Amino acid sequence: MIEFYEANKDILLFSGAAAVKVLLFLGGVMSFTALLTLAERKVSALMQDRVGPNRASVFGLALNGLFHPIADAIKMILKEDFVPGKAEKLLFTLAPFFALVPVLALFAFIPFGDYVMVFGYQLELQIAEVPLALFYVLALSGLAIYGVFLGGWASKNNFALLGALRGAAQMVSYEVVLGLTLVGLMMIYGTAGLQDLVRAQGALLFGFVPAWGVVVQPVAFILFLIAAIAENKRTPFDLVEGESEIIGYFMEYSSMRFAAFMFSEFVEIILVAMLAATLFFGGWQVPYLYDTGFILPGGKALALNHYIVAALQVGSFSVKTVFFSWFLLVVRWTLPRFRFDQLMGLCWKALLPLALLNILVTGAVLLALGKIR
Amino acid sequence: MISVKKVNNRPLNFLERIYLPEIARGLAVTMRHFFVNLFNPGGMPTVQYPEQTRPLPGNANLRTRHRLKVRADGSPKCVACFMCQTACPAYCIHIEAAEYAENSVEKYPAVFDIDLSRCVMCGMCVEACPEDAIAMDTREIPGGALHRGEMLMNKEGLLRNLPGEPSTLGASNRLANEYLEGKK
Repeated sequence: MIEFYEANKDILLFSGAAAVKVLLFLGGVMSFTALLTLAERKVSALMQDRVGPNRASVFGLALNGLFHPIADAIKMILKEDFVPGKAEKLLFTLAPFFALVPVLALFAFIPFGDYVMVFGYQLELQIAEVPLALFYVLALSGLAIYGVFLGGWASKNNFALLGALRGAAQMVSYEVVLGLTLVGLMMIYGTAGLQDLVRAQGALLFGFVPAWGVVVQPVAFILFLIAAIAENKRTPFDLVEGESEIIGYFMEYSSMRFAAFMFSEFVEIILVAMLAATLFFGGWQVPYLYDTGFILPGGKALALNHYIVAALQVGSFSVKTVFFSWFLLVVRWTLPRFRFDQLMGLCWKALLPLALLNILVTGAVLLALGKIR
Repeated sequence: MISVKKVNNRPLNFLERIYLPEIARGLAVTMRHFFVNLFNPGGMPTVQYPEQTRPLPGNANLRTRHRLKVRADGSPKCVACFMCQTACPAYCIHIEAAEYAENSVEKYPAVFDIDLSRCVMCGMCVEACPEDAIAMDTREIPGGALHRGEMLMNKEGLLRNLPGEPSTLGASNRLANEYLEGKK
């Protein structure tokens, strides 16, 4: 036993640490998703001068609606799991998984902190450290189309199929913009690994401005946010679902299958928020906080314990994630829906040229600064 | 005469056409509402009904739950004429008439049910009543029950006077009272 451990020490420690990280990080994401379903209703209510859900109670304790996600889950589980007679049973069953799995898999690449020393073992606070993580992110978010399209097609319902077609067209289009907005970042920081990207954002411009993505690529940030909301299929780009009028791809779904689609949408909100924080707002970086503590531009320093630094960094990442999730909710409840031709026009006639122009300008500036030969 | 409002749709200027400044303006509005309501929840107009109620304005008090007025001797003012049941557009009143054994002048309702789950609170029954026997001025708002049976009001639940109310007014009451007094 001990011999086996000694012989495979590295791989055992690595897999153990990975399992713990997956459990903790994904568990955190899942709980946050459940809270987000409540937050969406609460935020929208507050924006519309309402109170929002506050009646689900356990032993008379309502806690301002905190039990509503549980009540929703119980309701979803107890609903009839209906499969239309003409539906393709296999694909109809698989589609929710296709929607949920790529989104969950994406969290593996997101660094939620720098590193922690645990009993002399350096624990990277990222589930999978992949050098080309940015491309994995784009590839996996491209896979999310399958969930939409298979779900709509396998239902054998014309309205669902139309919704799926709208969804496929929209997601393929905005995928392009999403990818192109990130090219500028890769050019500036010279890396496609998310952890490297975040570390590079810890540098200072002119000695006092943090070199966050939003500072060096402000146009790309706005384009990324628009394209990411469109990828996410949320209002103002929710023609894929259009639950109130034009009926979406999951109209034949009920019970937990429907819940899987809804859940994947909420997970995507967190994902977009985390990506926005990681790529453009310095991820876990706190301005002027380094391994040893705060070093302000004036030269003042404040030494901090390693664990406090790590906690501050993870906390910073969480705050950014929560902020962007909230921001996406506010956007969703503020803007009316686009028409489909407007949606396509916005993507191909406005966002795509702007994204290409952004790359061109970035390249020209880098060339002028002599950063590339 | 139909009034026509001419909308002056001017062409959007550049800042409006690129949409982003207008989005920021819209977000400012919704975020202001969000934060104002977040830090001052008491300022919202919502009332936690049915635990909380608030006083009804003006004549809305005359569209509250029904009651049947009671005479001084405890008998219902209602003479079971079926006028309210006929006037009711929602068919929520059910009356079964009966006669007083000792009083051949008028009838009384042996059964008087109002199904509040069907009632539309229109007040037609009050207007139709020739005896001023039914009123909708209890200031109680019906609604919110877990079972349909709880929404069904019978005669016992309906019969009551408001505090300090004179109970012997009304044209046919005079007849009935004279009769009853003569009998005494």
